[in-house]
Amino acid sequence: MKRLTYPLLIAFAAGVLTLAIARDKTSTPDSHELGAAMVDTGGSAAGDFGPPQGEPIQAILTSPPNVPPPTGRHAPAKVIVNLEVREVEKEISEGVKYTFWTFGGTVPGSFIRIRQGDTVEFHLNNHPDSKMPHNIDLHAVTGPGGGAASSFTAPGHSSQFTFKALNAGLFVYHCATAPVGMHVANGMYGLILVEPPQGLPKVDREYYVMQGDFYTVGKYREKGLQAFDMQKAIEENATYVLFNGSEGSLLGDNALKANVGDKIRLFVGNGGPNLASSFHVIGEIFDKVWFEGGSKYQENVQTTMVPPGGSAIVEFHSEVPGTSVIVDHALFRAFNKGALGMMKFTGPDNLAVYSGKEIDSVYLGDKAVSSAPVAAAASAAASGSLTLDQQVKAGGALFNGTCSTCHQANGAGLPNVFPPLAKSDFLAADKQRAIGIVVNGRTGPITVNGADFNSVMPPMSQLNDDEIAHILTFVLNSWGNPGGKVSAEEVAKVRASTTPPPGAAH
Amino acid sequence: MKSLLATAMLMLSGAVAAATPLPATSVLQLSSRFTDQDGKSFVLSDRRGHVQVVSMFYSSCKFVCPLLIDSGLGLDKALTAAERAKLRVLLISLDPARDTTAALNALATKRKLDRTRWTLARTDKDGVRKTAALLDVRYRQLADGEFNHTSGLILLDSEGRILTRTEKLGATPDPAFLAAVRKALKASK
Amino acid sequence: MRRLLLTLLLVPTVAQAGGGVRDAGYVRIPAGEYKSALRYEDGDGRTKVAAFSLMKRPVTNAEFLAFVRAYPEWRRDRAPSVFAEPGHYLSHWRSPVDLGPANLPLQPVTQVSWFAATAYCEAQGARLPTWAEWEYVAAADETRRDARSDPAWRERILGWYSKPANVAMSPVGKGPSNVYGVQDMHGLVWEWAEDYAAMMVSGDNREQKADDRLKFCGAGAIAMDDRENYAVLMRVAMLSSLEADDSTSSLGFRCAR
Repeated sequence: MKRLTYPLLIAFAAGVLTLAIARDKTSTPDSHELGAAMVDTGGSAAGDFGPPQGEPIQAILTSPPNVPPPTGRHAPAKVIVNLEVREVEKEISEGVKYTFWTFGGTVPGSFIRIRQGDTVEFHLNNHPDSKMPHNIDLHAVTGPGGGAASSFTAPGHSSQFTFKALNAGLFVYHCATAPVGMHVANGMYGLILVEPPQGLPKVDREYYVMQGDFYTVGKYREKGLQAFDMQKAIEENATYVLFNGSEGSLLGDNALKANVGDKIRLFVGNGGPNLASSFHVIGEIFDKVWFEGGSKYQENVQTTMVPPGGSAIVEFHSEVPGTSVIVDHALFRAFNKGALGMMKFTGPDNLAVYSGKEIDSVYLGDKAVSSAPVAAAASAAASGSLTLDQQVKAGGALFNGTCSTCHQANGAGLPNVFPPLAKSDFLAADKQRAIGIVVNGRTGPITVNGADFNSVMPPMSQLNDDEIAHILTFVLNSWGNPGGKVSAEEVAKVRASTTPPPGAAH
Repeated sequence: MKSLLATAMLMLSGAVAAATPLPATSVLQLSSRFTDQDGKSFVLSDRRGHVQVVSMFYSSCKFVCPLLIDSGLGLDKALTAAERAKLRVLLISLDPARDTTAALNALATKRKLDRTRWTLARTDKDGVRKTAALLDVRYRQLADGEFNHTSGLILLDSEGRILTRTEKLGATPDPAFLAAVRKALKASK
Repeated sequence: MRRLLLTLLLVPTVAQAGGGVRDAGYVRIPAGEYKSALRYEDGDGRTKVAAFSLMKRPVTNAEFLAFVRAYPEWRRDRAPSVFAEPGHYLSHWRSPVDLGPANLPLQPVTQVSWFAATAYCEAQGARLPTWAEWEYVAAADETRRDARSDPAWRERILGWYSKPANVAMSPVGKGPSNVYGVQDMHGLVWEWAEDYAAMMVSGDNREQKADDRLKFCGAGAIAMDDRENYAVLMRVAMLSSLEADDSTSSLGFRCAR
């Protein structure tokens, strides 16, 4: 009997195995599993939780980069929002002023935080000093124009309309008055967060970052009050691409702060008007990205796309101290148009995770950390009191990261490759020629301190006249060079009287 | 002496009404002259003392303007006889060039309007502009003589102050507007 | 009695000032036709303008003050609120009949409602210009009747929009005269038009083609034909946001005949 059952068992097992394999090849995914992955929130049809309960609440509005606290509510409420429109002149970059049109006095405008199902009584107040009428389109509103048709407000007046937030998500709001592109390009956008009914998971820090592109008549970093350039806006040729409306908004003392070990959430928006953002934080990976500001998240993301008029919520956890740089990964925008911010993490080292040095000394060359002497020089120049010492200090700050990359921080250059600037006979012989080289570049053979060089120096077209003047003054007064000074006027003269090589930007 | 005068004035109740100035927000302060469908001339302040439903139209308008009259008639129907007796309806033409007194008269007859309470009126171009400005009616004359205009019924209290307005037109009155009309009629004498 | 004397004294002054300014202040504009930046659904796209006269410069504080003194029913403390919004109308003057040091006599008068501006022009035997007349004259620069396609013209105008409104306003007449001899059509103040109410632009700029027949009894709202002409676009948006009793700190006017 035993001898029979054993082969039977094997045959049975083999049979089952065969059947199992065959079944694997032809079976479809379990429909229950599919259903679990595709469950939706029900959208606006399921977003009405009934009439508001309790006393009306005055919404807490915050200026960027801060975010109001979680609502902590469990039932729909009536929320009153008072948002003021003001046209204000502010700095867009050091020494560069621009007349922004703002919601709440800032670019981006105040952050609004409510819960799905809330009824919002929205008051838009246009300051009497405004030149223009304005309105608001909130992407969170289900209704004509997102509220724009009901909120058209002349200066010195106020409009009111009421809406119920039927969809959860992170939504952009912006002015929709003709010409819309110009109103948005002048900074009229912000974010409104409609929390899902159960709220967002708890984190240690939340911040508000919104990208925008700006178009000025003058060049990048050209000083003074700049006007909006409509032609550049139509051509989508941005002068500045910035986080939170100005170049220094997230740099230096304004850098976002967190502790090692914090769980951090960024509410990221893009006001446009034209350019999409490839949002990336150098040295961090987003553990979760609620892509497009919606209800589902992706995990382990390096760079996420934020279209103009769109948003994303990113979360990450900090493990090591240091500085992370926030960029639009369309790199020329980050390094040549200002799409750069910083986040500083303080806390103990975690050498197992990262053992290297601070990131910012490699990437930025102290561009942000030592911007103070450049600012001091700019304001001194504006008031006509610029001293040699101020120029040298500003020039030193600018030299690092730009010129030092090739000529080295000590001016020694690289033998047979890059000529030295330290105690350079070539430099001392002709100041005008030196200016011309920085402005227009130089190719071909030269002899410096008895050594031959035959290399290519590109024209420094990203530097303006003041910056070149400061840098050359610094170089002339360093490393045994003969001293002296170079003024912005001298640089301008050289620029005007010489021709840049073909292909040079201008 | 002064007090005697005051008392005398008080006794003439009609004179008192005429003597007190119109409230600052009253549209009846407009000084333009109008002519009604019977050729009678008036100024808006002559109509003080009655709750009014006002609108602007033109008689050759094919689309909305007939609806305006329908809306007024619908309101009439929804009111009790006592309420109706107190209500006045004033329709002012945007097109005085073509809406002559005769044309307005013909329209009133055609639609069988109760002339004791309904007035179809015309004024000059200047008056049209100012009336529209006061009532916040937007309009533009087209090349073919037709008009683009915002439309709606505006409710005035007996002192000529704008209480509310509705853009919902049709034989069945907008319930919110009807309620407001009733409330205003109740408050008036 | 004193008030009567005062009025008698003022009348010749006003008449003289009015007379002097009235005749010297207008410029003859010849008839013509042009393509409006607005798209009207009726018509062939060309807007005709009959010959008319336009004030060379916007009405000044001094001129409007003389008017208010002659017609005290237009004082800010007496004008009915339905004609001029209290709290805004002439709110920048020190008193109802006194400019005060903060306002120069030759600055353009602002914070005036459409009714007040109309009354001023009527007192002059004039009227407000229509939008078409205004746009026609505003298209010119110093040498050309129609400079609107010149990017430099547009940039100059947009430059004004970028300046915040809380800086002191320039007096009238400082800018160059355009080819007709009219000054300050741009760069100084928004200006009322007689038919501001015809600017039926929807508050929402994106609704350019929305056909709301019941709302506008006929075709839809006015659309912009020349979307690159932001200078005109913003004027239209401004006018269509206003009601007749409104006034703002950047809005003035001039008269036409």
